[in-house]
Amino acid sequence: MIVRVFTIAQNTVREAIRNKLLYTLLFFAIALIGTGVLISTLSYVESERILQDVGLAAIRLMSVGIAVFVGVGLIHGEVERRTIYTILSKPVSRVEFLVGKYFGLVFTTWLMLGVMAIAFAVVSLGYGAPLDGGHGVCFFLVGMELVVIVAAATLFSSFTTPMLASLFTVGVYLLGHLSRDLRLLGEQAKSESVKPVADFLFQLLPDLESFNVTIEAVHQLPIPAAEVGWATLYGLGYATVLLILASYLFSRRDFR
Amino acid sequence: MSRVLPEGKAARRIGTVVLLAGVVLLTTAAHRQLPHEVKTQKGDAYVPRPEFAKAMSLGFDAVLADYYWVQAVLLAGGSFDPQSQSTHLGRLIDVVTTLDPWVDHPYRFAAVWLTDTLDDVRHGNMLLRRSFDYHPDEWRNRFYLGFNLFYYLEDNAGAADILHEASQMTGSPQYLPRLVARLRSESASLAAAGLFLEELVRTTEDEASRAEYQAALDEVEVEWRARQLDEARENYKKLHGRDIEFVEQLVVGNQGVLPALPDAEPSSLPAPLRRGSRWVIDEESGQIVSSYYGRRYEVHIDEHSRRRKQRIEERTRRSRGAAEVETSAAPSNGSAAEGEEADGV
Repeated sequence: MIVRVFTIAQNTVREAIRNKLLYTLLFFAIALIGTGVLISTLSYVESERILQDVGLAAIRLMSVGIAVFVGVGLIHGEVERRTIYTILSKPVSRVEFLVGKYFGLVFTTWLMLGVMAIAFAVVSLGYGAPLDGGHGVCFFLVGMELVVIVAAATLFSSFTTPMLASLFTVGVYLLGHLSRDLRLLGEQAKSESVKPVADFLFQLLPDLESFNVTIEAVHQLPIPAAEVGWATLYGLGYATVLLILASYLFSRRDFR
Repeated sequence: MSRVLPEGKAARRIGTVVLLAGVVLLTTAAHRQLPHEVKTQKGDAYVPRPEFAKAMSLGFDAVLADYYWVQAVLLAGGSFDPQSQSTHLGRLIDVVTTLDPWVDHPYRFAAVWLTDTLDDVRHGNMLLRRSFDYHPDEWRNRFYLGFNLFYYLEDNAGAADILHEASQMTGSPQYLPRLVARLRSESASLAAAGLFLEELVRTTEDEASRAEYQAALDEVEVEWRARQLDEARENYKKLHGRDIEFVEQLVVGNQGVLPALPDAEPSSLPAPLRRGSRWVIDEESGQIVSSYYGRRYEVHIDEHSRRRKQRIEERTRRSRGAAEVETSAAPSNGSAAEGEEADGV
């Protein structure tokens, strides 16, 4: 099973890196990281911080862009080209196919994240902005966020069109960053019935703020190892649940 | 190898280029007609409530904080009278420090620029106090708060307390305990103002603010010398049983009480700007004044601050008047108006 999943993942990476959209997004990400130099000159103080804030924001935004817009088309493309029939006629189950696609896409987004991280490091060092382990942790957690976002993209693309899957995934991303505020809103609400609903939504939606340590990295604040550990576990767990759901829906899908 | 285009094709290409050039020119002309001022520079850009901005940042709080910070810098740098924009600046810095409370300079930026009304000063002080949680070891934030309390709010006891905290911190200047002692012992000390201003000139990163602090410090320096002359004048009176008619009498021959008159101009004044000012007796007040300033300095109130204070008092009076009118017009809103009054001046 692992070999089959690995083969599909390998092919997915190969297919994804041929996608021109990937390079367009990568180009914009690197251009944005570079733009940070220009933006930082607008402030007479703390320009290194602004440079890194802009760089990290560009990386996070474009990574998610790659995960969503490249991710949602992968399964649909196989169905559209009817290559899925050829693959599934081999001794490959639908679940293996889906999981292989997922890992392939996760690897692709990580690869792009790595390229962007290198560009960020080059610009930071060129500008004399400090770099330390916190930045590494920040990139790692962006990678974990991508694990969840790619799982959401895979889930939605397993049962709907790429357009809707993109919309749903972007929605999950936005709500994922709002989930803590939703819970806070529930706590502050006067109505007693709002609190359990807000709590339920907080449990249901991904808490993507768990993976956001941009401020800590830029200000070189300590990032507790336990927090990183729990966030990793949470991300892997959440992605697994989404993949199980996706596998269930995908195995029942009618391709005709 | 040149390629000869058919006549019609060449004409079409030329036509396309001309059309493109025309459209570009038209677009540029239209764009020039539009106002190019950034809304923030006019002070009418929308600034969300901090908690709303935090929720809507969707995890991009750091970069959004930078956006509002740059807006604040543009507003302060682009406005002829940044203090008049200080309420707007205060809202911007509030958003910045809510989105990313670990920022460092914006807190002191707020302390420098939020001085248009006493409410603005209090808002700046609230922001400085917020910084204590995130920069507990930064003595400068406490120093700025101490300055605001002493200089604008004339709360010497409060200033002394906060400076005492600052003096316990690593890196704080050695004279801080002395400043605390002065603030606790005198109600309005020239030396305290001088010490404060010296430090502000040394540590303020923004050139415009530094120039203002330097101007205030210059006045303090000249006032210090004027007070020495006052002392010499008293000695002269005791010695001769009469007052001087002109300041130079203090050093004339054997009757003088001073070896030389001090410089009547600030020592920081560069040579090209010196205008040979001298010490004179002011006809109206009878006080010894430098012809450079033409008047005596009052603690808390240098020229810049006097204007600012007058403006503060005027605005405060106006806002009080407006609040009273509103209260009398809408008695049901009385409690809200009272609340504002209590929070305000």
